Amino acid sequence: MAEKKTESPSMGHGHGPGRGPAIVVKPKNFWKTSGRLAKYMSTYVVGIVVVLALAIASAVFQIKTPKILGQATTEIYKGLMTGVAQQKAGIKINGLPINFDKIEHIIFIVIMMYLASAAFNFIQQFVMTRISQRTVYKLRRDLKGKMERLPISYYDSHSNGDIMSRAINDMDNIAGTLQQSLTQLVTSSVTFVGIIWMMFTISWKLTLIALATVPLSLIVVGLIAPQSQKFFKRQQASLGLLNNQVEENYSGHVVVKSFNHEQESIDEFEKENAKLYKASWKAQLISGIVMPMMNFLNNLGYVFVAMYGGIQVANGGIALGDIQAFLQYMNQFSQPIAQLANLTNTIQATVASAERVFEILDEPEMENTKVDVPDVQTDDKVTLDHVKFGYEGNPILLEDYNLNVKPGEMVAIVGPTGAGKTTIINLLERFYDVSGGSIKLDGKDIRNMSREQVRSHYAMVLQDTWLFTGSIYDNLKYSREDATRDEIIEAAKAAHVDNFVRQLPDGYDTVLNEEASNISQGQRQLITIARAFVANPEILILDEATSSVDTRTELHIQHAMERLLKNRTSFVVAHRLSTIQGADKIIVMNHGSIVETGNHEELMAKNGFYADLYNSQFAGNVAL
Amino acid sequence: MFKIARGRINSWQVLGAVIFMIFQVIATLYIPNLTSDIVNKGVITGDTNYIIHAGIEMVVVSFITAIAAFGNVLMASQASQGLGRKLRSDLFKKILYFTHDEFDKFETSSLTTRTTNDVIQIQNVMIMMLRMMIMAPIMLIGASFMAYQKNAEMTKIFLVSIPILIVIVGLVMFFAVPLFKAMQKKTDRLNLVFREGLTGVRVIRAFRQDTFEQDRFKDANADYTNNAVKVFSIVAIMFPVVTLVMSGTNVGITWLGAHYIANQSMQIGNMIAFMTYAMQILMSFMILSMVFVFVPRASASAARIQEVFETESKIDVVAKPAKVKDEPSLSFNDVNFRYHGAERLALANLNFKVTKGQALAIIGGTGSGKSTLINLIPRFYDAETGVVSLNGTDVKALSTEDINSRVSMVPQKAILFKGTIRDNMAYGKEGATDDEIWHALEIAQAADFVKELDGQLDGEVEQGGDNFSGGQKQRLAIARALVKDASIYVFDDSFSALDFKTDLNLRTALKNDEKISQAVVVIVGQRISTVADADQIVVLDNGKMVGLGTHQELKENNKTYQEIIESQLKEGK
Repeated sequence: MAEKKTESPSMGHGHGPGRGPAIVVKPKNFWKTSGRLAKYMSTYVVGIVVVLALAIASAVFQIKTPKILGQATTEIYKGLMTGVAQQKAGIKINGLPINFDKIEHIIFIVIMMYLASAAFNFIQQFVMTRISQRTVYKLRRDLKGKMERLPISYYDSHSNGDIMSRAINDMDNIAGTLQQSLTQLVTSSVTFVGIIWMMFTISWKLTLIALATVPLSLIVVGLIAPQSQKFFKRQQASLGLLNNQVEENYSGHVVVKSFNHEQESIDEFEKENAKLYKASWKAQLISGIVMPMMNFLNNLGYVFVAMYGGIQVANGGIALGDIQAFLQYMNQFSQPIAQLANLTNTIQATVASAERVFEILDEPEMENTKVDVPDVQTDDKVTLDHVKFGYEGNPILLEDYNLNVKPGEMVAIVGPTGAGKTTIINLLERFYDVSGGSIKLDGKDIRNMSREQVRSHYAMVLQDTWLFTGSIYDNLKYSREDATRDEIIEAAKAAHVDNFVRQLPDGYDTVLNEEASNISQGQRQLITIARAFVANPEILILDEATSSVDTRTELHIQHAMERLLKNRTSFVVAHRLSTIQGADKIIVMNHGSIVETGNHEELMAKNGFYADLYNSQFAGNVAL
Repeated sequence: MFKIARGRINSWQVLGAVIFMIFQVIATLYIPNLTSDIVNKGVITGDTNYIIHAGIEMVVVSFITAIAAFGNVLMASQASQGLGRKLRSDLFKKILYFTHDEFDKFETSSLTTRTTNDVIQIQNVMIMMLRMMIMAPIMLIGASFMAYQKNAEMTKIFLVSIPILIVIVGLVMFFAVPLFKAMQKKTDRLNLVFREGLTGVRVIRAFRQDTFEQDRFKDANADYTNNAVKVFSIVAIMFPVVTLVMSGTNVGITWLGAHYIANQSMQIGNMIAFMTYAMQILMSFMILSMVFVFVPRASASAARIQEVFETESKIDVVAKPAKVKDEPSLSFNDVNFRYHGAERLALANLNFKVTKGQALAIIGGTGSGKSTLINLIPRFYDAETGVVSLNGTDVKALSTEDINSRVSMVPQKAILFKGTIRDNMAYGKEGATDDEIWHALEIAQAADFVKELDGQLDGEVEQGGDNFSGGQKQRLAIARALVKDASIYVFDDSFSALDFKTDLNLRTALKNDEKISQAVVVIVGQRISTVADADQIVVLDNGKMVGLGTHQELKENNKTYQEIIESQLKEGK
């Protein structure tokens, strides 16, 4: 791994150490995706043309110089030979008759070429950095913007890990390649062709000798690469297992400790650790010997060229400076080959990355097509009118479902775990749209409102206590931007947040970290409740919100809620019977569909699923 | 970096790597010498035989170079990966014996990163060092020596090119390194904001904060991009300038060489060799400068690892631990406790005692200190003042190992390990018989679903027990604790994931079990029904013990307990 890093002048991008040789992923449609990526850069088309022109010019100058500088050596050699001949002829000389004017002239040209090459190279990289970074900036911005327009169903059907890996790793790949590989591809190709060309202009025989080692190198690479892959794969597998062990033992340390199981865990760890060691040093060795072997082959070529060339010069068939230049070319020759070999992999991987990013960008977005459902005059807050719904590709869950919720009513949604209680919330908040029938808010079909409009009527407390990385204060303010500090504190007090927040070192300015591990799960829950209070919505949605708060705290919250819920409509997904019993309507769900609806008394009288569920909760409650 | 490598890396292998490297460098440096000989003695004199002779010598020397390089790679691979292995092993051992305090301090994910990624960083840098970075100084010295031999006068040229190189590289580093560091932070920020956008999508949309999200991301994105442009622009200077310096050196050598050759103070072959040496010298400088890039990176990792090694356990290791007595009992006498660095006591003035065959229950709200209390028993934390006694002995006088062999805990969160059911049960008792395991599973109400598993006791448990439901995991964790022969069985809110019926069956089975009924049982719970039939109930509120007694007693005269009952009665009746 180490040797691959050294050539790159940039240090930030590219494959970080530790990954081993990247396992090459082939894109599905190379040219189409490349074209699309190119389109992203099309605003910079002038810049790119300039960059490429400069890269080519820089490479050409760089290639030309050894031969020109070699002419200087040849001049020296000529002078030397003439001088030696003169001395032999008995002529006394003060110094060798070297043509310094000519050498001076050569050196002046060479220096100019070097300067130009360096300047071009710098400008080229300078410009390319801007183009590539801005392109990726746009790509990231578009991806993030797209995330906003994707329906919730996209989020529900794709793992976060997968999306993250596209947004981060794939994006990194693209940035790195645009910055480095594009110009490298041009430079390397030009250099490769140029060097062969220059070598041929010096001597085609020498060139053939030099090229004779190329097939040998290919054989070496062909033999070693699969071996190296094998060990790297083994290393990767071992590392994965080891990482799992580490994670498992660290996160379960309480158990490991309390069962005095440390030694056993260590023994197991050592076993895998030994395996990893074996695989990894072999992987390092095999990938490490490629370079020396290539060098050796290169040296062989070098020796033959030196020998043959030396004899040629001695016989006057070729100039010494040419041999010197030729040997320099040989040294440089292997570099573009290696680079090009790497580049084909990198570029393939990058296009595959771009493909994955574009896949997201091509996902269908949310639509907001109005429906032909007339507004009705009603005193219902929320009306579910012959609602039909099923998740895409899945069976229908709701069919012809009706429910009228009056202002201020509490609707409880109950059912065993996995009964699909969140479905109703998904529909109310318009995370999903109904497949048939209509949901109305104040008599107006919610599809005829914008999603934002619909959601402005609700505030939600989810079981998943999501808070963003920021201060507690900002998190509370999140639900209503124009909330005053007093309102926020009041809400915090109502949700029993104020008390514990004041005990934190920074109070309301305490920055919650990503996992919010600096406060407890129960406290996070309280903050999300307070956040909903700040929102001061018409309708409150509670999704099992109180389930991770203990009963006593819940009691406090319920008192506060009763106050805050006054004149407010609410939907509560609940396990707790206290909540359910007070509800005006209870929706009983099982296996994704609604099985019963009614109030507690009605449902008990029915003696159906709800009554069953209700009674089972008391089977064990003996001591009271 | 070197601190953590010392004593962990195989010094013989390092030495071997260095020696092979020296051979490799010498052989490499010998080749230009031969080239110059070919020119001086062969080409100029027209001696074809000499050329062939020298050519063969060159092949041999190249071969030696390759062999030496192989030896170096072999040694470097083993030494660096061996170091990684040893580091991982030492870290794992050290961390596994950490107490709660240390786990709180570092957090699990950070400790995992230190054991895995950070070690890999060190490994990678170590192999680079052993392969390239030690080559640089050796090459530098060797090439300088050879160059000096070829023409002492001409080495003056390095007085110009080397300082220029150092200044350029130094300047680039000076400006780029802080920016690189900043870039890492900005990358993290970018990832964080994006990830939060995913995990919080429902909340974000429900509160109509999409614009806020987009702005937040735009800021992070722009910040990152600007920084990246700056960094790479600076770095862009380096490569062309370095190439320029090298090429300039070559030109200088040719110009000076022409003069030296003209006045016959230098041979032409030596000039060609000198050029090669010059390149090697400058390249070595470049490689050396990379030390400044990679070593800081690794030293950040090294520092994180070192921090773990330097962390001393907060729990005093008892020099001469007392031996735990056999008669089960548990008592707290005036126990006070506060978390490290906290202002407020987390537990204040706890007093109670339970003896053989009794059950103690602890009830209270979130944050009332229930779990904290439990953690004092196995010395996950130590009491600040007061005495916690296990079987009549102060736990501070006992070794944690001894304590753990007497206390069987079921933590709040069910933790299972990858393996089979039997493997997991064996945590409780090494070599437990199938009968013992089944018995424990029966009590824990887990036997039914284990019987349905493929392979029953040999049924597979995935990482984290992910192939079981929450309730099943909890019951398996309980069974594991029951397999163990202990004086005290502690259930830290372990029953709340169970439905009422299972909860009841489990507690009944516990009461009727021969082994368990001879021990002390401690149950932490939130439901009145779970704690009601305990012999003593501790009522905690805000870290204070506000009540102690039986259900009947507390129900009559304890206000907090009455409140709890009231809140649950509302559900129950």
